[in-house]
Amino acid sequence: MSVYPRRLRAGALALATLAIISTTACTAGGSGGNANGDATTTLTVNTSFVLKTLDPGRVYEATGLTAVHALYDTLLTFEGSDVGTPVPALAESYEVSADAKTFTFKLRSGVTFSDGSPLTADDVVFSLNRLKNIKGSPAVTVSELSVSKTDDSTVVVTSATPNPNVPVVLAMPSTGVLNAGVAQENGAKDGEDAAQGDTAQQYLDTNSIGSGPYVLKSYDPSAQVVLEANPNYWGEKPQFDRVVLRNMDVQTQKLTMQRAETAEISLDISGKLLDGLPESLHTSGVQDTVYFLFLNADPAVSAVTSNAKFNQALRAAIDYQGIAALYGEGAAPGAGLVAPAFPGTLPAGEASTRDVAKAKALLAEAGLTDPTVKFNYPAITYKGVDLGTVATKVQGDAAEAGITLELNPQPLTTFLDEMRGGKSPLGFTPQSLNYPVADSLINNMAPGQATALRSGWTVERADPAIVAAGEQVTETLDLAARATAMQQWQRLMNQSSPYIVLASNSSTVVATADLTGADYTAAGWQVDVAAVGRK
Amino acid sequence: MTTLHDGEPGAVTTTAPRPRRAHPLLAFLAKRLAITAGLLLGVTAVTFGLVNVVPGDPVTANLSDQALNDPATVAAFREKWGLDQPLWAQYLHYLGNLLHGDLGTSQQTGRAVLDDLVRYVPATMELAIPTMVLALLIGTGIGMLAAVRNGRFTDQLVRVGALLGLSTPPFWLSLVVLYVFFYQLGLAPSGGRLSTGFSPPPTVTGMYTVDAALAGQWDVAWDAAQHLTLPVLVLTSLTVALLVRFVRSAMLEVLQQDYIRAAYAKGLPTRVVLRRHLLRAGLVPVVTVSGLAFASLLSGTVLVESIFGWPGLGQYAYRSATALDLPAILGVSLFVALVYTLVNLTVDLLYGLIDPRIRLS
Repeated sequence: MSVYPRRLRAGALALATLAIISTTACTAGGSGGNANGDATTTLTVNTSFVLKTLDPGRVYEATGLTAVHALYDTLLTFEGSDVGTPVPALAESYEVSADAKTFTFKLRSGVTFSDGSPLTADDVVFSLNRLKNIKGSPAVTVSELSVSKTDDSTVVVTSATPNPNVPVVLAMPSTGVLNAGVAQENGAKDGEDAAQGDTAQQYLDTNSIGSGPYVLKSYDPSAQVVLEANPNYWGEKPQFDRVVLRNMDVQTQKLTMQRAETAEISLDISGKLLDGLPESLHTSGVQDTVYFLFLNADPAVSAVTSNAKFNQALRAAIDYQGIAALYGEGAAPGAGLVAPAFPGTLPAGEASTRDVAKAKALLAEAGLTDPTVKFNYPAITYKGVDLGTVATKVQGDAAEAGITLELNPQPLTTFLDEMRGGKSPLGFTPQSLNYPVADSLINNMAPGQATALRSGWTVERADPAIVAAGEQVTETLDLAARATAMQQWQRLMNQSSPYIVLASNSSTVVATADLTGADYTAAGWQVDVAAVGRK
Repeated sequence: MTTLHDGEPGAVTTTAPRPRRAHPLLAFLAKRLAITAGLLLGVTAVTFGLVNVVPGDPVTANLSDQALNDPATVAAFREKWGLDQPLWAQYLHYLGNLLHGDLGTSQQTGRAVLDDLVRYVPATMELAIPTMVLALLIGTGIGMLAAVRNGRFTDQLVRVGALLGLSTPPFWLSLVVLYVFFYQLGLAPSGGRLSTGFSPPPTVTGMYTVDAALAGQWDVAWDAAQHLTLPVLVLTSLTVALLVRFVRSAMLEVLQQDYIRAAYAKGLPTRVVLRRHLLRAGLVPVVTVSGLAFASLLSGTVLVESIFGWPGLGQYAYRSATALDLPAILGVSLFVALVYTLVNLTVDLLYGLIDPRIRLS
């Protein structure tokens, strides 16, 4: 028997059609997602959120730093994309002692917090002590500093050891000055017990109590952070009434910027992703990230990677130019551990070069036939680059010299754990500086330091010349001479350290053509949203 | 008055009054509640164990690389979050707090996990509810159509379409939909819940469209509805593909039954046969799969939420997992387990409504 329910078919089709229409009908007339509910001017900043908190004492992730820099003032700051010379902010001037241990800051007069109350030296002392004692991620930058006031407008910061970089540290968003009274009312503490006793994070995530050009309007770490112009701001008023930091996948950012016409910025479109963007968009980038291999120097972990000749053979086997090409626009072959954005970087002419014949000869000298090494790397895309693609290129280059690398992509947390546990024979990772001082690398990557020890690189296993060169850097108090010493340290590191620098690449700010001041900075906050204006 | 005792001559044998039996439905619900409590306890134990077994350390995930080189900072973090305690002590502490309704504090957000769930679940519900309504309407309609046109071109078309829908990666479909409807046609916003010019409405349900309507903010409600469009379109497509296959096979099975043939033979109009017999009898398996699909949607759709910048439970779960944020992971796991339990219970109760034979005696 044939069942042919015509009415049912018609009914079902009608039902399905109606449902589809109801789904799509509401799109008619849909905006491009940048409507304005009122007459305020809004700057939209699209970024793939890396955001945990807006508490200055705990902030270290990129998105948080962008927001906190706009909410809180610091004693000093950087202007535009320059990260070489800190300029006055809350401090109108400062003096440095000859031994680079004592820094005296004269506070600007007439500065008020967003609630209208005056900012004094007490607020500065409280904020810096809190930063140090709550022991969040940024605390390590001030762990050797102590702070006091000599009067209501003078603050003295003392370093336990000579440190000419203290002014740079005091330009970082984590040193932002809070309204101490309001902070304490909401659980903030600055004493020795602050690590367990301070409960202000939740309040500071939803309220700003600074003196910066913006105040916090709303905070949703998964969606958006809205800033509004601070009516009591002491400095030059920002041009935009509102700034909306919007969480957006990088592919969506690219589509959005291709349609954007006014007042919109994206922070994550870099490298190859820049291809195909309209010419009208403004891009600004600085090479602030280096990508390097690390070989374990501990024979107990790997008899192969700890072999000095193997280390040199792998260096000679790699096609640095080819790897830089994988990174796209704004990338360069690796020279030294200090990225080009920072003082102390090596000149581009000193980039490493490939010599496969030399690599094979070195392997023969090492007595290694077809050495095989497990090659760990995080299975992530970083700044527009799939690290797996780069790792595969390294594997291919090494194979031409007779070295077998077994690719081992890992979840980021697993990779970090294994690396930090000193278990990785060979690994690959990007590195950006926490604050724009290149010689901070000495404290981490010199022989015997914490990061170096993850690669089994003890003082005993290192070339004494490298140890001496590192000491030379830290003993040099003049910043220009220190940068030169830093270059010398890198040259020696390139000869026999466990680190092989592959390439450096840029972070990029992409902005609509109507904007000014949307410059990328390697200072940590990516872009100074308060400095962005209209043409 | 004399009292007669049992066994005595002339005594009337008395029986103790029977205890009143609870209503079968109440007994059923009580049993399910007990099972649910056990299940949730099991979920906490398994999740707690798994998070502590997988490679990775919460300290690594939550502190900067530089901070990890500072033993004092690491020690302070461990002490603050109780990670310096033995695992059993951590678990008992968690359970103790749970009995007081405290799901703990997220290491990532610094907020109570319950507050986080209250923030993110409504966003996911705002996607899940319209998705499910549309998917049921479309899926049932198309599935029935395919069944009654079994073996013909329409049926083949529906089957191929459903197969394509099931095979399509959600993130890929999301990107295609974005490219077409946002980038090429400009018909819908690219992502987020609201355009940057609007502020969220006063919170009542946490669903912007509803809250804005309740507050009389029609421009905000309209904007929020537009932002729902593309993610709902993607999720509906995927859910329809799932439902269509179940509806079609369920209906086909019913169409083979003798009573359907008998109904036709008696001269009943087609629409009557389909509405009274086919639809009702075929609904039982459809309800099951719909329930599971809805529970799955409520559990968060990580990839779709990620592409569309939708701050729902999926994104929260993903961020928590990658940061090894144990309190948040446990909170999400408990919520998801609870959702599945409640959905299953609802499905069981609906069976009874749809088919009286399934009702509990």
